[in-house]
Amino acid sequence: MTILAEENTRVVVQGITGNIGSAQTKLMLEYGTRIVAGVTPGKGGQSVHNIPVYDTVQQAVLEQGAEASILFVPPGRVLDAAEEAIEAGIGMLVIITEHVPVHDTMRVKALAQKEEVTVLGPNTPGIISPGKTKIGIMPGNLYRSGKVGIVSRSATLAYEIAGNLTEAGVGQSTCAGIGGDPVTGVTFVDLLELFQEDDETSLVVIIGEVGRTVEEEAADYIEKKLSKPVVACVVGRTAPPEKKMGHAGAIIERGRGTAESKIDAFRRAGVSVIDHSSEIVLHVEEAMKELR
Amino acid sequence: MRHTWKARVLFMKLLEYEAKKIFSEQGISVPKGKLIESLEQLRNLSGRLSFPVVLKAQVPVGGRKKAGGIRIAHDQNDIEASFRSLLGMKIRGYVVRKILLEECLNIAREAYIGLTIDASKGTPLIIVSSEGGIDIEETARIRPEIVVAKTVDIASGIGKDIATELARRTELEGIPLDKIEDIVNRLYQIFVKYDALLVEANPLVATIKGDLCAVGAVMTIDDDALYRHPDIAFRDEVRIEDEIERDSRKQDIAYVRLDGDIGIIASGAGLALSTLDLVKDYGGHPANFLDTGGQITQQRIKACMEIVLRNERVRGLVINMYGGINPMIEAARGVASFVREKRLRIPVVVKVRGNQEEEAWKILEEAGVAVVKSIRTEVAVQKLMELVRG
Repeated sequence: MTILAEENTRVVVQGITGNIGSAQTKLMLEYGTRIVAGVTPGKGGQSVHNIPVYDTVQQAVLEQGAEASILFVPPGRVLDAAEEAIEAGIGMLVIITEHVPVHDTMRVKALAQKEEVTVLGPNTPGIISPGKTKIGIMPGNLYRSGKVGIVSRSATLAYEIAGNLTEAGVGQSTCAGIGGDPVTGVTFVDLLELFQEDDETSLVVIIGEVGRTVEEEAADYIEKKLSKPVVACVVGRTAPPEKKMGHAGAIIERGRGTAESKIDAFRRAGVSVIDHSSEIVLHVEEAMKELR
Repeated sequence: MRHTWKARVLFMKLLEYEAKKIFSEQGISVPKGKLIESLEQLRNLSGRLSFPVVLKAQVPVGGRKKAGGIRIAHDQNDIEASFRSLLGMKIRGYVVRKILLEECLNIAREAYIGLTIDASKGTPLIIVSSEGGIDIEETARIRPEIVVAKTVDIASGIGKDIATELARRTELEGIPLDKIEDIVNRLYQIFVKYDALLVEANPLVATIKGDLCAVGAVMTIDDDALYRHPDIAFRDEVRIEDEIERDSRKQDIAYVRLDGDIGIIASGAGLALSTLDLVKDYGGHPANFLDTGGQITQQRIKACMEIVLRNERVRGLVINMYGGINPMIEAARGVASFVREKRLRIPVVVKVRGNQEEEAWKILEEAGVAVVKSIRTEVAVQKLMELVRG
C-alpha cells in the first residue's frame, strides 16, 4: 500500500478544459494516472485527451466512479468547486490553484473536516506514488519508486530533494505536498500518521520552511508517536525577519515559526536536520543503513 | 500568523482612517475625526476645533506610538507645531503623508478585541483582553492571564455564547454584556465581509457616558481576495516605500529587496529560500527574494529579470527553475531573449530541471547562457559565485 492514492485510484480533473488543466491532464495520463473524467460547468459532453467532460462532479462520480479530484480552477472558483466535490462524495481533493483567498480555504477546510475528506493544498504540487500514480503537477522524471516518504510545503524544493534522491538511486514511496499557503487542508501531522501505518515507507523526509508552525507540530508528533526515522530540511535560515501581518497572530505562535525554532524542535525530537537539499542523500542513506 | 514567504509577501494593511471608515459603516462608533494632508487644510479648520485634539500619523505599520507618531495638541499653536513635526517624519521606513485629527474622549476603561486567523487550526480566532492600547503579542507573553483567545467555527460564525464567555473570562466589568456581544458580532462581520487577516479594536474604549468606541482600528486584508472588494478604493495608494518592491507588486511578482548583490529568481518560494540560504553559505549576499509563482511566460520571466536587475547593486544572477506547472521552453526563451536584448554585462547562471528540461537547455545554450543541468542548486550557486569573483 501507499498512502492517499494507489494505481487504481479513479481521478476526476476539475477545470480540465483550461490550458493548465488540459496540459497537466496529458502529463498525468502519460505517467499512468487513472483519470476517468473531467469537469467544467457548461462543457459537459466534450472530451479532453479522450477523457469525457461532465458539467458536474456528481455526474463524474455516478458515471465514472471518480474517487479523487484534482482542481485547476481559478482562485475565485475553488470554494464552490471544492464544496461541489465534497458534496458529491469525493474522498480526496488536490487543490493545485495558487492565490486562493484564505477565508475560502478556511471554509473548505471546515467542510472537509466535517465530512472526513482529505484536502491537499491549496497551492500544492499534489501527490505522487512513483511508478503507480501521480495526482499532481510534479515532473515525473525526477521520481522513482522506493521506500522514502516525502512531505513538503513547497513544490519545487520538493522536486529538488526527490530528484537528488532519485539520482542517487534512492526511491520514494509517496511524496505529498500540504501546500504553501498559510492555511491548508491537511498538515504534516496528518500525513505522518499515514506514513506511520504504511508498510512501503521506511523513512520520512519533511521539507519545511520559515513561517507557520506545522514543523513544530510535526516534531511533537514524531517525538511521541512516529517510530520511523525522519530527516528534515528547513529553508529560510538566512532570510531576514519576514514581514508579518500584525501582532495578533503571534500570540498563538509564541515565538515559534522561525527557522531556529523549527530546527530546534526537530533536533529535540531526534530528527536529523539538513541545511541544504543535496545533503539529503547522505542523511537518508545513513538512516537507511541503521534500519538494516 | 501570515508570515509565509509564499507567493505573496506583502499584505494590504489599511491605514487607520480607512479602517475607521469601514468600522463606522458597520455601525461601530469611532472618534470624530478629520484627515489632514497639508498645513493649509489645518489652518482652514482654525476656530472650529475643540481642544485638546489628538494627531495621529497614518502609516501602515504598528509601533507608531513608540516612534512618536501620536501627539496631543492643546491649542492652535500647539497643533501647528505638532503637525509640522509629524508631516514627512519617517516611521519604520514609512514617510508620514497624512495625519488624522481626532477628538479626545473621556475614557472610563479600555479593552482590546481582535480577530485574526489561527493558522495552526485554520480557523478564525477571536482575542479579547481587559486592557486596551496594548501590544497584544507582548501582553500575551508577559501577562497571559489578561488575554483570552478562542477559535471560531467559520461555518456557524460567532454565537452569543462566545461573546459572553470572553467577556466573563476577561472580567470586562463596567461594560454591559449586550454591548460587548454587539461589537464582537460587528467586528466578526467586518472580518468575514472584507476577507480580513486581522481586525483590531485597540483600544476599544468605554466612555464615561457608557458608549463603546473604537479609538484604535487596525485592518489587514488578504491580498488574494482584494479582487472581490472593489469598494476598497484606496487599494492603489502608495504603501510600499521601496520603488522596486512597489513596481513588482503592481505586476504581481513576489519580490523582496535585500541588502546584498546576488540576484535570485526561483520558481517557488521554498526553492527561492533554499537558494538564498545557499548564496549566503557560499559567502555571497542575496540582493533579493523573488518567487515567479506558477504562471511563467516569456514576458513574465523577462519582467522578473527586469525587476531584479533594476537594483543597481546586483553583480550576478542565479535563476533556479523546475518544469512542473511552469513551461520551461517558454521560460528559457524568455531568459534567452532578455539576455540578447539587454546585452547583459553581469554573469547569469540558469538551472533548469523537470519537464521540457532538454529543450530548455538547448535554447539557453544556443543563446550563450550559462546552464546548470545538475539537480543540485549549489552547483549553480557555486558557478555564479566563481563568475562574480572573476
